[in-house]
Amino acid sequence: MTASGLAAIGSYAPRLRIDAAEFEAAWGRFDAAGIDEKAVPDADEDAVTMGVEAARRALTAADASGTDVAHLAFATTTPPMAEEDLAARLCSILNVPDDAKTQTMTGSTHAGAQALDATMDGGPFGEDIGLVIIGDCPRGDPDSEVEHAAGAGSVALVVDDDGPGTVIDRASHTEAYPGTRFRTGGDDRTTGLGVTQYDRDAFTTALGSAADRLDVSMETVDAAAVQSPDGKLPYRATGSLGVDAETIAAADTVSTLGDTGAASAFLGAATAFTDDAERALIAAYGSGASATLFVATGPVPVNTALDSAVSLSYAEYLRRRGEITRDEPEGGGAYVSVPSWQRTIPQRHRLVAGRCSACGALNFPPTGACTDCHERTSDFEVVELPGTGTVEAVTTIEQGGAPPEFVAQQSKSGQFDSAIVALDSPSGEQTVSVPAQVLDTTAEVTIGTPVVLTTRRIYTQEGVIRYGFKAQVASQRR
Amino acid sequence: MRDAYLIGAGQTPFGSMPEESYRSLFDHAVSEAIDSVDHGIDTAAIDEAVVGSLGVGGRQLGLSGPAATEHAGLHGVPSVRVENACAASGYAVRQAVQAVKSGMADVALAGGVEVMTDMSSDVTKYWLGVSGETEWERLTGTTFSGVYAQMASAYLREYEASEEHLSMVAVKNHRNGAKNPKAHLGFECSLEDAVDAPVVADPLNLYHCCPTSDGAAVALVASEDVVEQYTDDPVRVAGVGAASDRVGLFQRDSYTSISASEMAADTAYDRAGVGPDDLDFAEVHDCFTIAELLAYEDLGFCDRGEAPQLLEQGTTDDDGAMPVNLSGGLKSKGHPIGATGAGQIVEAFKQLTGSAADRQLPAPKYGLTHNVGGSGGSAVVHILEREAAR
Repeated sequence: MTASGLAAIGSYAPRLRIDAAEFEAAWGRFDAAGIDEKAVPDADEDAVTMGVEAARRALTAADASGTDVAHLAFATTTPPMAEEDLAARLCSILNVPDDAKTQTMTGSTHAGAQALDATMDGGPFGEDIGLVIIGDCPRGDPDSEVEHAAGAGSVALVVDDDGPGTVIDRASHTEAYPGTRFRTGGDDRTTGLGVTQYDRDAFTTALGSAADRLDVSMETVDAAAVQSPDGKLPYRATGSLGVDAETIAAADTVSTLGDTGAASAFLGAATAFTDDAERALIAAYGSGASATLFVATGPVPVNTALDSAVSLSYAEYLRRRGEITRDEPEGGGAYVSVPSWQRTIPQRHRLVAGRCSACGALNFPPTGACTDCHERTSDFEVVELPGTGTVEAVTTIEQGGAPPEFVAQQSKSGQFDSAIVALDSPSGEQTVSVPAQVLDTTAEVTIGTPVVLTTRRIYTQEGVIRYGFKAQVASQRR
Repeated sequence: MRDAYLIGAGQTPFGSMPEESYRSLFDHAVSEAIDSVDHGIDTAAIDEAVVGSLGVGGRQLGLSGPAATEHAGLHGVPSVRVENACAASGYAVRQAVQAVKSGMADVALAGGVEVMTDMSSDVTKYWLGVSGETEWERLTGTTFSGVYAQMASAYLREYEASEEHLSMVAVKNHRNGAKNPKAHLGFECSLEDAVDAPVVADPLNLYHCCPTSDGAAVALVASEDVVEQYTDDPVRVAGVGAASDRVGLFQRDSYTSISASEMAADTAYDRAGVGPDDLDFAEVHDCFTIAELLAYEDLGFCDRGEAPQLLEQGTTDDDGAMPVNLSGGLKSKGHPIGATGAGQIVEAFKQLTGSAADRQLPAPKYGLTHNVGGSGGSAVVHILEREAAR
């Protein structure tokens, strides 16, 4: 038994972009064919935060919520922590029930397809849904083809029993082709041997062999979303897949987002369904090598945030990548233990406030005496805030003005705004104030500016990434 | 309860003194305080010691009270460190007054010490803002310049005030501090300098922020039963008030006032039986210049939103009706966190005993000191009165 409905897709790419011309100016060449510009994660973004962005959009498009999720699969080649079940954090942030089945797929760009495959097999879901979250941001050495191509993006698919979209066919192929694209243990940079024809053979053989197992004729697909480590390789597979170049181009994202790794083919599908494709091929490939193809029919509602907002120079790009920046300095000082952080996860991940039983005021965090009436015996009724609010006080922390915990972030991203935000209650009749960093923005942030909260990395201490909320100017939200 | 009197007070210069340790600084302040006692005092007469310190740098976080007082020769004297962020030694003085008024001590020593300039800038950063609300406020990337800047943003929005008013505080306090040989930044600055300085945390620029300093300050408090042994010119602790509030700004009722200051001042005025109009001068906590504007209003020198007018009218200048921060304040005199509150008492003692040299007011009777911890999580106000010579 399986679930083969596609209820919705959400997609997201960081708003930071760099143009291929910046690389050419810096290096005298650009080694990623077919890429015009690409997305760059900000200092506080990673596969998890991008995944959350896509997942929230997918859930909205499916008119569902995290509480409906019975099966959550997370896929990335760039897990922010090499060991730890990051699906647990995603479940917490998205408010997925604690009995949901979770899976984390990694190890190759095929991981996204493995996640969808496994989630479909986890069905049927009845009234519930499966959620596939794929976020990726590959990186390589600065002068490598992998790094020139490396983009960033995320996509989430809501899988259910009924659609409106349907996966009508799927097939896989696995065949050992070592050395085309790999990362050794402990390294954060992907590389490859660059044996041109061998690499192409691995790609076309795996995809073509999987295609041979499909029942559906390739002539019926409007768009073919093919794994795109650069803008040229997918077109090498026209023959083996049985699709023409135009059909592949109809699902292109690599030319504007770069290599999005495990998310690549699925971001292509999001683009195809945004453009009202009736039938799309999703052709995911991972080095090693393995491939899985899905044929999906539309319509599939897509909630997308792929457009760009800010162009980086190559020097700014190197800062964002952490190539020329400093890490957190040595020293003692403000320490927030992991257990004390863990106790506040409902607030940091889901904005759980509390209503004082004595006076009715909202408290955040909901502990201790009421901040309004100061009654110490008050119980707090749980109130989950929707995450909209208004700036009440704000300043810009110039570089050098942040605590050492934020030195690495400032070194990468520069100054940031720190604000007090009055968050709305679900009814909109009350507010409760919280401090929040404001996402780097081109809009001016002043008292009265409407904001929405989102999830980002707050900082890393003792090697443990701490995720929490930050504010984004509402008009800037894509 | 019996009355408590200031019989002596002294301080080191505030500044950057790599040749001094926290103990040697404290020892110098003890010496100056003892030397300031009219008829002299033997350290054996000191029954109690309270030492304010945040412990910046973590150099002696445990038992820094005894470590400082034993070094200064107060052997065997019960000694305790008080930590209340930047209000540490304001609270130390309050505790000495409590000890004396309660009858447990006839003479109590209260002081404070901090060393802030012997660390790398990275380590210093760790310690700035450790008195902010750590788990939430600091994790938005702020230290105190950021939190006070948020207060300034709210104040400038709510009232008819501009960034120039923030700069006027700096100009005034530097003008006063230039006359104080103990000041860390004892130079005058022009309004132009104070307006055009580099931005630290919008709207606060460099001239809107006090320095970090090394220094120590000590006050000696005696009971009415023994005060005549030490001086013919007693300064009475007419009223003390102190109050607390939420440590994080986001959990407070107002961003444009510090209610702990307001509550502390109300108590102090009440106990002293005087009001703002009776004061001849005040030393207020101007860690950032916005804080001095808030202090004018919290301490009742003017109504809400009228602080800019006091500056424009020169009311708080050294020759105005209510001189504020004749010492130069935290802005110019300096801010060695744990020593600041006791340092304010030193200035008040000097003014009230006629020993303030170039900064001396003509025969002041009442002076107020106002010491704030963090961005307003604690505050303590002392009202001191020069009694008629005996």
